[in-house]
Amino acid sequence: MRLKNVGTGWLMTMREMRRSRIALILFFVIPTVFYAVIFLITTHRPIAFALASVARETVVTVSQRNEALVFIGLAAGGVLTSFLALHLTQKHAEVNRRLILCGYRTTELLASKFLALLTMIALIGCYVGAITPLFFRPQRFVLVLLGFMMAGYVYGAYGLLVGAIFRRELEGILFIVLLANLDIGWLQNPIYYAEAQNKAIIRHLPAYFPSQLSMVSAFSDYSVLQPLLGSLAYGTALLAAALFLYSRRMRLWK
Amino acid sequence: MNHPPSQQHPEILLEVRNVRKAFGRRQVLQDVSFQLSRGQIVGITGENGAGKTTLLRIIVGLLAPDGGTVRGGARTGYCPQELAVFETLTVRENFSFFAAAYGLDSKGLGKSWAEAMNELCRRFRFASYQDALVSTLSGGTKQKLNFSLSVLHDPGLLILDEPYSGFDWETYLQFWEYAAERKSQGLSVLVVSHFVYDRSKFDGILELREGYLRCA
Repeated sequence: MRLKNVGTGWLMTMREMRRSRIALILFFVIPTVFYAVIFLITTHRPIAFALASVARETVVTVSQRNEALVFIGLAAGGVLTSFLALHLTQKHAEVNRRLILCGYRTTELLASKFLALLTMIALIGCYVGAITPLFFRPQRFVLVLLGFMMAGYVYGAYGLLVGAIFRRELEGILFIVLLANLDIGWLQNPIYYAEAQNKAIIRHLPAYFPSQLSMVSAFSDYSVLQPLLGSLAYGTALLAAALFLYSRRMRLWK
Repeated sequence: MNHPPSQQHPEILLEVRNVRKAFGRRQVLQDVSFQLSRGQIVGITGENGAGKTTLLRIIVGLLAPDGGTVRGGARTGYCPQELAVFETLTVRENFSFFAAAYGLDSKGLGKSWAEAMNELCRRFRFASYQDALVSTLSGGTKQKLNFSLSVLHDPGLLILDEPYSGFDWETYLQFWEYAAERKSQGLSVLVVSHFVYDRSKFDGILELREGYLRCA
């Protein structure tokens, strides 16, 4: 892999994103609207739930609003980066193929897109981090933020994978909606999770580790090493699958 | 003999031998063979569905044949029929991106890619748009960019897919001017199209019919 080409690809991708002004604005408006809606519709009524990734059964009682704010921060980070990743792999597919014909390597192209994605995850994460204290102060703020970014990492890799599998936008969007709505938009919410009959399924979904990282950090002092490592492993596995399929799809026969 | 054609016969830049391709039961290419020598301009024609695009995709590397070989002995430039440029980048940024793909460093070919870009922009008369976003350009200027990107690295072999439907008249004339000038320096051109104008400009025209290539 030629790092110079990765750098050029990253730079061009970032310039393209910078020029999609409305989309760029929405990346920052959507988390704000999510937070505002939660702020307006929830109360500080106490709710109790078990922290799933903590070794012994640990129940915390927290404000409903604070729990919902952490959950919606995760959902915003995950869903936004997933759609962005899908867009990066599907848009300009023919031009990217032409670049590969001209000498770019698929690994260089995908690495540059993934770097651009990481940049956006960091920017969105920092922004969400900046507005979170306006609504509430989690116990370990930096780790909560890291959980949001891990949601972006895992779901960004998932978006790349979906983009590597499906050539058409509609199928890709539906596939993301299918999993994101179920997982990061519903089942990982501790309120549902705690009462679920089959928790094994929920534990194997992509947002499990990032949501545990944020929830445990927001409302307790327990170690979050396992959810952090789990998030990294899950995201990296999805990324490796995306790279494999993208390389196969874009490969030249000679 | 597995040497590339340039080593066997220095004048042969492209050698397609016994290429076959089927999609399901439909045999699109039965047994296609031809050679392209240095400085030759050859056209491949055929009716819609004759297999021209399949052959071209095999030649450039986008599709694997079921059998046969394709050997190239020169740096290849490929201009697709459809626009394949980044609409949300400027003309200069597109050149820069493709220069990286070609591996052109600042002094790669004795002149920088920026010099090559300036030369092409002057020749095809879109120099004033270098810093314009491609999405704001006219269709004709986009076509000029599409073509210019395929010759940025000064190829020895240029492959054009349906240029008559992709090029406007001005670009078409400028392309032939470019081809005539570079032909004298050894450029070979393969034009794949469902029909061919100006037969006098070609050194040979082949027709793809029922999976075989014949002289037209």
